[in-house]
Amino acid sequence: MKLELGKIYIKDIKFDDSQRIEDGVLYVSKEELTKIALSDDHLASAEFDIAKPGESVRITPVKDVIEPRVKVEGSGGVFPGWIAKVDTVGSGKTYALKGMAVVTAGPIVGFQEGVIDMTGPGADYTPFSKTINLVMVCKPVEGLKQHAYEKAVRLAGFRVAAAIGELARSLEPDETVVYETCTIKEGLQKYPDLPRVAYVHMLQSQGLLHDTYVYGVDAKQILPTIVSPTETFDGAIVSGNCVSACDKNPTYVHQNNPVVEELFKQHGKTINFVCHILTNENVFLADKERSSFFTAKICKMLDLDGVIISEEGFGNPDTDLIMNCKKITAEGIKTVIITDEYAGRDGKSQSLADAHASADAVVTAGNANEVVILPKLDKVIGTLDYINKIAGASEETLREDGSLEVEIQVITGATSEVGFGCLSAR
Amino acid sequence: MLVIITNNPLIQESFGSTYTVDYEALSYDDILIKIRDAVHRGASILTHPLYGSVKPKETPYRSVLMEMREGPVDMDSLLLIEQTIASAGKFPNKSAGYDEATLNDCKIIDLSLLQGALRSM
Repeated sequence: MKLELGKIYIKDIKFDDSQRIEDGVLYVSKEELTKIALSDDHLASAEFDIAKPGESVRITPVKDVIEPRVKVEGSGGVFPGWIAKVDTVGSGKTYALKGMAVVTAGPIVGFQEGVIDMTGPGADYTPFSKTINLVMVCKPVEGLKQHAYEKAVRLAGFRVAAAIGELARSLEPDETVVYETCTIKEGLQKYPDLPRVAYVHMLQSQGLLHDTYVYGVDAKQILPTIVSPTETFDGAIVSGNCVSACDKNPTYVHQNNPVVEELFKQHGKTINFVCHILTNENVFLADKERSSFFTAKICKMLDLDGVIISEEGFGNPDTDLIMNCKKITAEGIKTVIITDEYAGRDGKSQSLADAHASADAVVTAGNANEVVILPKLDKVIGTLDYINKIAGASEETLREDGSLEVEIQVITGATSEVGFGCLSAR
Repeated sequence: MLVIITNNPLIQESFGSTYTVDYEALSYDDILIKIRDAVHRGASILTHPLYGSVKPKETPYRSVLMEMREGPVDMDSLLLIEQTIASAGKFPNKSAGYDEATLNDCKIIDLSLLQGALRSM
């Protein structure tokens, strides 16, 4: 599969009566966007705001972050199964609006975290302090249940992002990157001497605010499967998943998965990037066993030499991570796992809830229990009503001077387990 | 026999007519101890006792599906519940000051996680 990804850099976002992109400036109409958001009758209101890097703004609780994209050539459309009809994506030409994001915010449940600070020490921990954010806060109609509210906000975010992406359809990209994968046979012929490597991508799939979707299917209902790594660039994987914000993959991260990007960079040079394997993280122990056996079997059938495994979340998914690592290693395939740690505020506790000797090559995305002080910021988009309740906070979190004492687990993307973060040991 | 051990009253309301629900108004720590005691008697754990991504004790509720029997100890289940108790021990109890609405959200999330597992049985 060959995908040309055209990047259109957005330097600023402004509200205006007519929607367009001109000289790198995105003009959006609150009225138009509100119509798009409220086309679902589960939502009573939608408010839009803009947060720019360096501004004294805190966005919380964050639900999802989405990069506007549009499919200009090739089969299917963005967010297949949700916005576009189900068709295989990942080939042809797609344009992405770089430097900006659509952020959905607002409390679905009363202990929901997810903080994006646009300035100060908190900004250093989240990748979304570097994007110009169009923030949408939706309120539900009275009496709407949490599941329906979550879905309504999720879909409203995709609709708004897709509508903004459409504005770029006739533009010339500032830069184009070409991603090309080969079939199994082509790969063997072209790169006979390179190690065969795949990416095992674990998707959180446990329930309300813990779900991920593949082509519109709830990932808890899939058996592990293979996709072309370019499919994720068109929104084949979307997030419904925001509890424990530090190590959850918002849709934006799936669209820009750094593991996929890096494997593409090495493809044909040091490795043969064979495919992208998707698996889930379920609650039922038999599901965990089944999915990890299937994943290991797929790796074996593809004659892989090595895999990169990324986890999503902490605790219960540590079991899936170790099962995958153990069973794939037992097939004679080398593994590297990417995770984050909950090693306590002093960093001295056991980091993962499970372990095995086969997990001998581990990349850590940081200790989510690390404490930071986030100074009071001038403006809050969303609400601070729940800030003392969220994971990584306490009754003492909101201090008299308005600053927050929190663990970095409250910050969206702080310990991203696909490496879409800012922490480094370098 | 399949039994849901829970301290979430919503589980009793939702699944009480279709599953055997062993509901008791226990703390988060005590529900884990109750599960461990059952494992000591020979029961097996079928759903992971560590919550989804809601951290241990950030919610007061926990529900776990178990295969109840008496006999030799299922060592996998024992390891799992001991790891869970050790993991939960790292987290402070957050839910003491929760209002009714937040407690209700906690119940719904716990219910949703268990529903997902029961659907795949």
